[in-house]
Amino acid sequence: MKVPMKWLREYTEIPLSTQAYADKMIMAGNGVEDIENTGSLFDKVVVGHVVTCEPIEGTHLHICMVDVGQAENIQILCGAPNVAAGEYVCAALDGAHLPGGVKIKKSKLRGQISNGMLCSGTELGIPAGLYPHCGDEGILLFDQPYQPGTDVKEIFHLGDDVVDFEVLANRPDCLSVWGLARETAAVLDTHCVMPEISVQEAEGQGVFEDYAKVTVEDEELCPRYCARVIRNVKIGPSPMWMREYLYGAGVRPINNIVDITNFVMLETGHPMHAFDLSKVRDANIVVRRARPGEELTTLDGKAYALTEDMLVIADAEKATGLAGIMGGEESEIVDGTTDVLFECAAFDRTNNRLTSRALGIRTESSGRVEKGVCVATTKQALDRACMLVNMLECGDVLPGCYDNYPRPVESQVIEANVNNVNRRISCNLSGEQMQDILERLGFDVELNQDTMRCTVPEWRLDLDTDADISEEVLRLNGYDKIPSTLMTGVTMAGARSIRQVLLDAVKRALVGMGFYEAMNFSFISPKWIDALNLPEDDARRNPICIRNPLGEDTSVMRSSLVPSMLNTLSLNINRGNAEGRLFEAAPVFSPVKTETTAATESLQLCLGMYGGNADFYALRDCVLFLLNGFGIKADVAAGGDGYYHPGRKAVLSVNDVAVAQVGEIHPDVAAQFEITGRVYVAEIRLNLIRELSQPIGEVHVLPKFPAVTRDLALVMAEDVPIGPVMQTILKAGGKLIEGVKLFDIYRDAKLGENVKSAAFALSFRASDRTLTDAEINTAVDKILKAVSAEYSAKLRS
Amino acid sequence: MQEKLKAIRENFIEELKNVQDTNALEQLRIRVLGKKGELTSILRGMGQLSPEERPRMGQIVNETRAKLESAIESAQATLKEKEKALRLQRETIDVTIPPAERSAGSLHPMNIVLNDLIEIFTGMGFETVEGPEIEYDHYNFELLNLPKNHPARDAQDTFYVDENVVLRTHTSPVQARVMTTRKPPIRIISPGRVYRADEVDATHSPVFHQIEGLVIDKNISMGDLKGTLDTFAQRLYGKGIVTRFRPSFFPFTEPSAEVDLTCSACGGKGCRVCKGTGWIEVLGAGMVNPRVLEMCGIDSREYSGFAFGMGIERLTILKYNVPDMRYLYENDLRFLKQFR
Repeated sequence: MKVPMKWLREYTEIPLSTQAYADKMIMAGNGVEDIENTGSLFDKVVVGHVVTCEPIEGTHLHICMVDVGQAENIQILCGAPNVAAGEYVCAALDGAHLPGGVKIKKSKLRGQISNGMLCSGTELGIPAGLYPHCGDEGILLFDQPYQPGTDVKEIFHLGDDVVDFEVLANRPDCLSVWGLARETAAVLDTHCVMPEISVQEAEGQGVFEDYAKVTVEDEELCPRYCARVIRNVKIGPSPMWMREYLYGAGVRPINNIVDITNFVMLETGHPMHAFDLSKVRDANIVVRRARPGEELTTLDGKAYALTEDMLVIADAEKATGLAGIMGGEESEIVDGTTDVLFECAAFDRTNNRLTSRALGIRTESSGRVEKGVCVATTKQALDRACMLVNMLECGDVLPGCYDNYPRPVESQVIEANVNNVNRRISCNLSGEQMQDILERLGFDVELNQDTMRCTVPEWRLDLDTDADISEEVLRLNGYDKIPSTLMTGVTMAGARSIRQVLLDAVKRALVGMGFYEAMNFSFISPKWIDALNLPEDDARRNPICIRNPLGEDTSVMRSSLVPSMLNTLSLNINRGNAEGRLFEAAPVFSPVKTETTAATESLQLCLGMYGGNADFYALRDCVLFLLNGFGIKADVAAGGDGYYHPGRKAVLSVNDVAVAQVGEIHPDVAAQFEITGRVYVAEIRLNLIRELSQPIGEVHVLPKFPAVTRDLALVMAEDVPIGPVMQTILKAGGKLIEGVKLFDIYRDAKLGENVKSAAFALSFRASDRTLTDAEINTAVDKILKAVSAEYSAKLRS
Repeated sequence: MQEKLKAIRENFIEELKNVQDTNALEQLRIRVLGKKGELTSILRGMGQLSPEERPRMGQIVNETRAKLESAIESAQATLKEKEKALRLQRETIDVTIPPAERSAGSLHPMNIVLNDLIEIFTGMGFETVEGPEIEYDHYNFELLNLPKNHPARDAQDTFYVDENVVLRTHTSPVQARVMTTRKPPIRIISPGRVYRADEVDATHSPVFHQIEGLVIDKNISMGDLKGTLDTFAQRLYGKGIVTRFRPSFFPFTEPSAEVDLTCSACGGKGCRVCKGTGWIEVLGAGMVNPRVLEMCGIDSREYSGFAFGMGIERLTILKYNVPDMRYLYENDLRFLKQFR
């Protein structure tokens, strides 16, 4: 809410600089976004009197000698068609700054010196609404002989500070000059005086009822409707002071009647509307819900289809305006308007909000209605408008005022206990001190020992409990007086959540392996899920959809972290980052309700790797290493989702429960993410890690007897997987075998086609003796039998 | 014979001087002291001597042998030392060769910041509690004094899943969940991801992170809130940092405050980071609205509490001077590698 300081000072004293005033207001909860000066548009522009004006042959230029209030006239060249001797003009002097960063300098044109520039209204940034004599063509010509050398800002009434208040959502009363004047007086502990409102009603012209009829059909949605009729209206510009205030407040001055409605809205906070009564059929105003299929063209020329939930202002035939939002085109005030109906009304906030949202119209008026307008002062605002009509002498206000107010709002009383208030806000104020603060804010306070009976001022719509009273007291007493105290009471043990402890451990391990943490949006494009080529019945194809997404790209909650990771890898590859290791730990979502939540969120971990030494094994080993860190030994088997390379993917499981999968991304899937090289991705179900994690337990006693090693080279078919072979070796080796390691895989034509030789180092040990050759030979024989039976593997000869 | 011995000895000493390595030394030793060596052959020749001469001569030969052996030993030690020095010198490597490119790995900067915050509040007795991101309207709005069609709901442009389910617009529903299931005293923080329908730009993101605190106990006051946040501010940014409370409005707190911290970049003198004000706006806070307590089943005559919340993105951007919020969600390794 932009408020010119001059306007505020009409009603209250502000014995401070604008900045000091703003600081005080901020600390009382009235945020200030900005302070601007209306005179900062330009400088060094003065009234000039054109003494002589001679054309330069062959050009459109004139040589003007201009009196700018200095000892001597100065020469200025001017190309405007309307420049002429005798005119009073705006002269920008050498060194002047104009809007848009223009700087005026003494210069030479056609061999002639020009000591400045004669300006148009546009060049000075002066809108025609503020100064109607600006002229569309050529330079601005004053209609009066102002003293040459006078700063033109004086003539345009520029130079006032305008404070842009950031009014809190619960303080709609401060969306008005009067509201802010009251607040200012309370904060600064000065006085505020509102104008005495009295309307001069015209005699002998008839009364309201002779010219208009109002019917409120829906009193739920329109708890109060006030109207008056003005006859013999003379449309014209409003006076300079009113234009100055409107301009300062950021509202375009239009004509006296429209300006009055805007002025009253800004001053009192009540949105108003003016109808051209001659365009209202049967002079009949009906406040009702829109009819099925009804249409309306608003002031801005846009047509809307209405629904029955919407409240309209209609005439005898059809809707002419959207109640509290925008008037209709038909009954708009125009230059020839002579009879006007002023409306000032209260409308239901929620209904207004839903209508303006449904139609996508937001106006100054609707913004105020939906935040809340004081019902009690509706008629006062209407009368203020009529008082201005009197003042501007722009029409005759007819006697009689329509006022439908079936259920007057009762004044609100809140009881508050002085001690409770003090305790809440950590202050030590007396009842009298609180009473004084509250009375400054317009409350009526009856103090009875420790109990305050506070009658809330009618304009305050935001208060209902003693907690609200405590905030009012604290706000004016000063938030800077809150002491810094320490909580007393039971000592509490702080702790991280189990989930965080797990995440911390996982991330620490991954960072140690050179992974960087990524963070992606939780919502993705459904196309990204399609890109994974999942089977039709896969649950991940059924993600939670957002009803009102920002766009398709962010319209479903991700059911897998893989697409985001592929996108991240793609971005890095395409930006030329040669290699990368990334991870993201985040929930994936599924539309299955749980006992306490509206959806299922399961914590997942996704790793991505490319470039450098990245290959399937590198990533698989990172996952195994991570799991080992939690004491989890997973079995690796070929397999996994279809978005992985069919021959380079594995499922890692514990007791047949899949904990993770890892693989190279299928080139078709990679291509959908604009990835051309090989990338590797792993997914780990983090919630399982917590369940499967093994405690360290008791330590093993270190062996006293030496281990004996034996190397075995086994020849087997190419497609026999090594992992299971090693499992078999361990199983067949019985108690004595301590470990087995693969140290070589050898292929040679002499071995045969599609055959490989795998060399293993076996170690045997017993805890109570040194093993004998015979014992080891027995074990090795068993092993050879087992691998021969299961894999047709033979000892290499 | 004595002359012969003398000649051997002198010859040996002379040759020893010229020996350059342990190999040559060994050869010299074999030639003189070996089984077929010069000295040994003299000993063999002792048979020709008279029995009287033999012991005397034997003693001389043995003395000579001992002398020569000790000379060899000391020469050997010197040579070994010399050879070791030579070997070490040959093994010199260029230690300035550039290191193998290996990434160190790092948490996301926002989690670095979040970890600091959690650490501070855990130390102050706060327990971390998390809640769902897809949340019932009931917890996200209703219990927090934001009934249906409340205009303040517009300020938090909400993503809806259905009429009663939203993507949580703040971490406050966790407070509501805790208050409805636990008895005071309550002292929790809840960090997490939240959503608002803002288009992505340099300062907005539809997905962002908050951390909230909630304390409910007997006699909790606004001063306790200030004391808690003062302590937090000093642990985060160091001594001399203070908080400034300004009145504000949140439907779930009353009184409410915006909380500024002394600008840590300039110490409050005014700089580019704080736009010359000396303060940075970091937190929203207030006393829990008694209506919220009552709706969550806590007797507001017996208990009071405070709540506060702040944005992790904002703190991260301030801490590392990140020029654009989009950096935080792009995951460009050139950005991520700047953290540790």
